[in-house]
Amino acid sequence: MPDEEILEEGVLNPVQPEIQDPLLQSLLAENEAWAASTEQEQPAPLPDPTDEVDCVVIGTGAGGAPLLARLAMAGLRVVALEAGPRRDPKTEYATDEKAQNFLFWNDERLSAGRNPVAFGKNNSGTGVGGSTLHYTAYTPRAHRGDLQLFTDFGKGVDWPFGIEELEPYYEELEHFLGISGPTPYPWDPARRKGYPLAPLPLNGAAQLMQRACAQLGIQTSPAANAALSARYYQEGIGWREACTNRGFCQAGCNRGAKASMDVTFLPLAESYGAEIRAEAFVTEIERDAQGRVTGVVYEQHGQAVRQRCRHLFLCAGAVETPRLLLLNELALTSGQVGKHFMAHPGMQVWGTFPEDIRPYKGIPGGLISEDTHRPKDADFAGGYLLQSIGVMPVTFATQMVRQRKLWGQPLRDYMRQYNHVAGINILGDCLPHADNFLELSDEKDARGLPKPRLHFTAQENEQRMNRHAEKLMRRIWEAAGAKDIWAFERYAHVIGTARMGLSGDDAVVNADGRAFDVPNLYICDNSVFPSALSVNPALTIMALSLRTADKFLANLR
Amino acid sequence: MPHYPEGTVRALLESDHVTPATRTALESRLAAPAHYEAQFFDADTYALLRAVAARLFPQPDRAEPIELAPAIDQRLLAGRADGWRYDAMPPDREAYRLGLGGINQTAEALFHQSFVSLPAADQDAVVQALADGQAQSTNWAEVSQKYFFEELLAELTELYYAHPLAQEEIGYVGMADQPGWQRLGLNEREDREPPEQLSNGVAE
Repeated sequence: MPDEEILEEGVLNPVQPEIQDPLLQSLLAENEAWAASTEQEQPAPLPDPTDEVDCVVIGTGAGGAPLLARLAMAGLRVVALEAGPRRDPKTEYATDEKAQNFLFWNDERLSAGRNPVAFGKNNSGTGVGGSTLHYTAYTPRAHRGDLQLFTDFGKGVDWPFGIEELEPYYEELEHFLGISGPTPYPWDPARRKGYPLAPLPLNGAAQLMQRACAQLGIQTSPAANAALSARYYQEGIGWREACTNRGFCQAGCNRGAKASMDVTFLPLAESYGAEIRAEAFVTEIERDAQGRVTGVVYEQHGQAVRQRCRHLFLCAGAVETPRLLLLNELALTSGQVGKHFMAHPGMQVWGTFPEDIRPYKGIPGGLISEDTHRPKDADFAGGYLLQSIGVMPVTFATQMVRQRKLWGQPLRDYMRQYNHVAGINILGDCLPHADNFLELSDEKDARGLPKPRLHFTAQENEQRMNRHAEKLMRRIWEAAGAKDIWAFERYAHVIGTARMGLSGDDAVVNADGRAFDVPNLYICDNSVFPSALSVNPALTIMALSLRTADKFLANLR
Repeated sequence: MPHYPEGTVRALLESDHVTPATRTALESRLAAPAHYEAQFFDADTYALLRAVAARLFPQPDRAEPIELAPAIDQRLLAGRADGWRYDAMPPDREAYRLGLGGINQTAEALFHQSFVSLPAADQDAVVQALADGQAQSTNWAEVSQKYFFEELLAELTELYYAHPLAQEEIGYVGMADQPGWQRLGLNEREDREPPEQLSNGVAE
């Protein structure tokens, strides 16, 4: 249902249309001015430039940026289209959660199902660099077993290839990005190469978790994080400075210490001639009579622009990628577009401690345990990892009230203990399920495009995992000396919706990332994940991105 | 209960510990005018929103309470969203219209008066009925009181704790992050991080 404005008692009839994005408002205002100045004229036909580039890449996040660089380095003419703006973190980023809201994809998505997933700041980014501008910088590798859930448990699906396909890319990425982490890695000691930088220092929450886990016989380690524990040389831009422990990864690094795409792969790509067009929102994917993509149409500064291309890489994330495919009725033969939407169980457990913690300092996910990757007493398929959490006050307070519903004086009193609060969370696997999917709703956004609706209900496997994890995390926090312990059931990351597989009967893209239906369309982002993995997804998305580029280049020759 | 010295954040904002971008963001909130003329809501509905906000965030300790309602009025006027909405909920403007109307209906049902004219204790009883999902009135057939209460509370909470004085209240000085933090561990504090005080103002 469109957002019809109803004249009702108590509400003045709003003069303005339903617009969610201040940027869009200014675009529309410009549009109106333009329309007024060309009154009486027919709209000009869309220019049809003959200029054809080798590749257009839609999206500049973890899926689009690495392959953009790879393709440019191979000498191809490549153009990236990014819906959001380009910003200078050093001068434009504030250390203030509310001021940083521009990092998030704030166009409205409709959240349905019994566990409606929060979008916006919970998982969805925009701007040159995509969601990596606000990712927490967690970069654990997936394990062999994560890619073969069906083989190991008879549930979920296997990936169309094994971990050995990703390992060389993990290695390359860890060294290119400058990952700080432990060597050897306790849960995968046989790796060929260690991390290039030592782990970042532990904050209060990490120390509490370390202490309690030691008592309980749970192995922990400083975690692998894509933030520099020392200055590091970055191909394409020079030296990146070390992390100063601002604790602000989730609302933007103003120092270039966190390996977001805007300070790593994107400058590298540009140094090899790639062109990045910001504030370019793609609406149409054009095809010829044979079904090959011929180009895209995007809106930029109120104008529709056409860009022809020989190959298209769709890397817009697991909501906008299937939304574009559905809007354009593209690659739909398998019936899998929008299907098998997954979200990681990300339950958090919080407690109040006598110690002074000041949870705003230090890398948020300082400590990890992967002892729960395949728990011996599990009554579920797959597993999860445990992480300590640092947290900023607005994020903490809003999550807390959504869960505990404190209000009035008790709310203010509880929040006065902010400096004594620490949390741990899990990141758990999620099985694909037919009831969890994305569809286009009848409600339109400010561009006149249907808003996406996402259905998510935690199924039996996720519920069992949550129970197992909550019990364990409560034990850990009790051992650490916490009082007033509470749990927050949440779901993080947006995964699935254009799955990869061996056959076009049940998958949208093949093992190389190429659409079964469209020979010159590649998809690379978290939408192609056949299963969710029991680790944070960014590193694996980047690995897939490099692999997709290599497969494409090999096919080209 | 921890208390922190007054004036900490204002002093930090004038120091080199805060970047220009951060200072601009926080000072604009400190400088917000005391009086605000609603542009989206009509005067009565805006007064109702302010009254509800004052029960969810009572501020008897402040001579000038942090005003939370203006930002909601401005957001709804501009039609801004935060990236998602419960599918079970109507669009935000409609949800606020129905939800605030439902609060007034609940006040009438329980106390035969409008919400704004009730004494604080009775207003709290209305809010508690809503928080418990027990409010009885016609509007709640059209908008989920559970989700409306959650969304209203979350939006007010975000606005309150984004304010520099509310951040000072809870001892948060993360905005003063220049040149960085070196003392991160348990019970480690840097000089610019204010010590806790007992309620009589003495450092613990």
